Amino acid sequence: MAGLPGVTPGSPGPAVCEWSAPLNIKYFATFRDLTGETACVLENPPATVGELLEVLSARYGTPFRRAAFEGEDLSPFLVLLVNGRNVRHTGGRTTPLREQDEVCVFPMVAGG
Amino acid sequence: MYGWTGTTLRIDLTKGIATREATNMTLAHEYIGARGLGGRILTDEVDHNVDALSPANKLIFAPGPFTGTFAPSAGRFNVITKSPLNGTIAASNSGGTFGAELKYAGYDMVIIEGKSPKPVYLWIKNDQVELRDASGLWGLNAHDATDAVRELTDEDAKVACIGPAGEHLALMGCIMNEMHRAAGRTGVGAVMGSKNLKAFAVVGTGSVTVADPVAFKAAVMKARGKIQAHPVGGAGLKAYGTNVLVNILNETGALPTRNFQDGYFPTADKTGGESLAAKQLVRPKGCFSCIISCGRVTKVDNPEYAGIGEGPEYETAWGFGADCGIDDLDAITKANFLCNEYGMDTIACASTIACAMELFERGYLTLADTDGIDLRWGDAHAMVEMVRKCGEGEGFGKRLAEGSYRLADSVGHPELSMTVKKQEMPAYDPRGVQGIGLNYATNNRGGCHVRGYTIAVEVLGNGMSMDPHVTEGKAGLGIAFQNLTAALDSSGACLFSTFGIGGDELAEMLTALTGVSYTVEEFVKIGERIWNNERMWNLDNGYTSADDTLPQRLLDEPILTGPSKGEVNHLGEMLPEYYSLRGWDEDGVPTEATLESLSL
Amino acid sequence: MAKILMIHPDKCTGCRNCELACSFQHEAAFRPGATNVHVFTWEREGFSVPMMCQQCDDAACVRVCPTGAMRHSSDTPNLVEYDEATCIGCKMCVVACPFGNASYDSKAKRIAKCDTCAGAPECVLFCPNGALEFAEDGEQIRARKKAYASKFKDVFQEVR
Repeated sequence: MAGLPGVTPGSPGPAVCEWSAPLNIKYFATFRDLTGETACVLENPPATVGELLEVLSARYGTPFRRAAFEGEDLSPFLVLLVNGRNVRHTGGRTTPLREQDEVCVFPMVAGG
Repeated sequence: MYGWTGTTLRIDLTKGIATREATNMTLAHEYIGARGLGGRILTDEVDHNVDALSPANKLIFAPGPFTGTFAPSAGRFNVITKSPLNGTIAASNSGGTFGAELKYAGYDMVIIEGKSPKPVYLWIKNDQVELRDASGLWGLNAHDATDAVRELTDEDAKVACIGPAGEHLALMGCIMNEMHRAAGRTGVGAVMGSKNLKAFAVVGTGSVTVADPVAFKAAVMKARGKIQAHPVGGAGLKAYGTNVLVNILNETGALPTRNFQDGYFPTADKTGGESLAAKQLVRPKGCFSCIISCGRVTKVDNPEYAGIGEGPEYETAWGFGADCGIDDLDAITKANFLCNEYGMDTIACASTIACAMELFERGYLTLADTDGIDLRWGDAHAMVEMVRKCGEGEGFGKRLAEGSYRLADSVGHPELSMTVKKQEMPAYDPRGVQGIGLNYATNNRGGCHVRGYTIAVEVLGNGMSMDPHVTEGKAGLGIAFQNLTAALDSSGACLFSTFGIGGDELAEMLTALTGVSYTVEEFVKIGERIWNNERMWNLDNGYTSADDTLPQRLLDEPILTGPSKGEVNHLGEMLPEYYSLRGWDEDGVPTEATLESLSL
Repeated sequence: MAKILMIHPDKCTGCRNCELACSFQHEAAFRPGATNVHVFTWEREGFSVPMMCQQCDDAACVRVCPTGAMRHSSDTPNLVEYDEATCIGCKMCVVACPFGNASYDSKAKRIAKCDTCAGAPECVLFCPNGALEFAEDGEQIRARKKAYASKFKDVFQEVR
């Protein structure tokens, strides 16, 4: 766990990880399996979506990274919402993040 | 004859006569099958003025050329008729296995005419066709009727039937096949009931042949690979089902809540695909030839709502969920099981109950109307009881069964019915997603999402991604979806195959199968032809551009909470461009030039 | 090494792609009578099972065949071969198979029985759900056994 900003080492695997303050991240569908969590709270959020996904990839490992990225770009099968807006329309990985933002991480899903 | 069988069966229920005829292959080439071909036959043979519940209406069961082959996820059939709900062409699409069995029995279409003097069921085994007494079956729910018909015919017969709702001519009555699949929308079950036709059983042992087997198999393997490589077609839908959409629509702020009063439902996650997978899923299920398996075999243990069946799908989980302010998944699933047993369109049923809840909350309906039931937002018990009453056609259920438009209109508040052309809108709030609003407004059968599913681009980002909150480009997007989907619906393919493949792969497979050369442009043009044929029927029935609209609520009342708070739908910015790009005049009427270019 | 065509009914979704693949392999067309594998679906329970010849080591169909058209393959292990040229269509094999896995196809005038497509079974290729597997001796149950073994792993990991 060393080297990750804002992380307090402690007992493993709570249902909600408490890093420290208010970037609210929610996981859905296969991301719940990939992370083992439904939600997460992150203090001192990185400045951009791209950096956030790097932090989360380091935390959750290669399967998460593969679902989030395709090379340097965001995976075409990632649907990331910041305050309900798909980041593809707000600057992609350069989309800025602020405290109290609500981030929702989805794989591409479908239905009818 | 490849792909198609070349034979159409015509059943006159009034006289009790069956006639075999050659399928009109010129029309088959130009309309493909299913929705397109059935729709053209209907517009040719049925006067647009007919009373949809009269013997003069026709009920057409039609698979497509792909149906019965191993084209991936392409085993569907349509039921085509004039809708008693709204007079449009109802071409209701269903999966399961029934369509394939019709092809093996040797038929491109079965056209049912007239009205039987007494309740009957139709039993077809290849070229052996019988109409048999159904007096012992009348009143049975769709599951019991299916088993009963099999005992009388063949234990492996594929059975399409109506439940009590269709028998009562409920405008939301649908046709169920293989117990859990539905030709769900626009009142096709009521038409079947109006003809005194309880069930249709079929066994087929014939062949569907292929023009170029080597090319067909190669095209199929390529298409399969693309669908399987796609995260949705390949794994996502199988893991979570269509209900996975609850959360993404909610987090976009476009999950219609409490009869479209709002677009965000805080406890929606309890009703979504993740919860369903954790609590109720027994195993996934697939239709004939399907490689996606979005179907859910589900079980509810809670003794109050216990049962085993299939579903709920997204529309159903939304309708009996957020749209009614309910987050009890067990109750929602029970409502779905009931709809399958009674044979009712879950979108219409749920949305009508939501409308009734709003009317009750506002005092436009009272306890005297609702048989003493307090019909309030979030009351799962009341909701389930209303579903049952609706299916039985009992008490207040008789009024519910007519759908939300007629219900709201009867108390002087049609503006509280969340319908377009009297058909209930599905589970996407147009104030949060602009393009789907255009599709609802212009859809030939009224409030419908599947025929122009711009959600795939506006919310899901399949293939390309467009901002749901802008109107720019949405007219062109909507038309592209509507045209391709009309052709796809006519081929027997399932819409979900488009998570992976598109017009190119469909045209390639269709060419190899039938031996008739289709380019992707021709394939899409056929879709445009089908769309315009349906449009002309609606115009003949008195629909005008004034009907290409949305409820005032969606145009004037902003979403109250959540990520799309403050938004309304800007239909007026999209509709003129839509008409223009379609080659229609300012009143939405196809021009002579457009019709000529489509051979209409 | 010998391969066995194994079914995993718990994964079957009832899509019948196996039937379509089998029919197409034999006739380049889709016909219910031409497939050697059949899927049975119970709709109320939502359960489906694909069924095909089990290639018995001591096959009843081989024992009753008067011409030797049904025979244990001399070069391929785990295969009951069917030689259409020697078959007289007496259908004794159909009568004898206790599983009902041999049937008479009256259109093609032959016995419909799985032949594993000369070692590359099409049904396995087409099944989208892993409900059919063509696996080596001892490996065909590996996934199932391992899935249960991993439950022990999880239990013991939690208890420290």
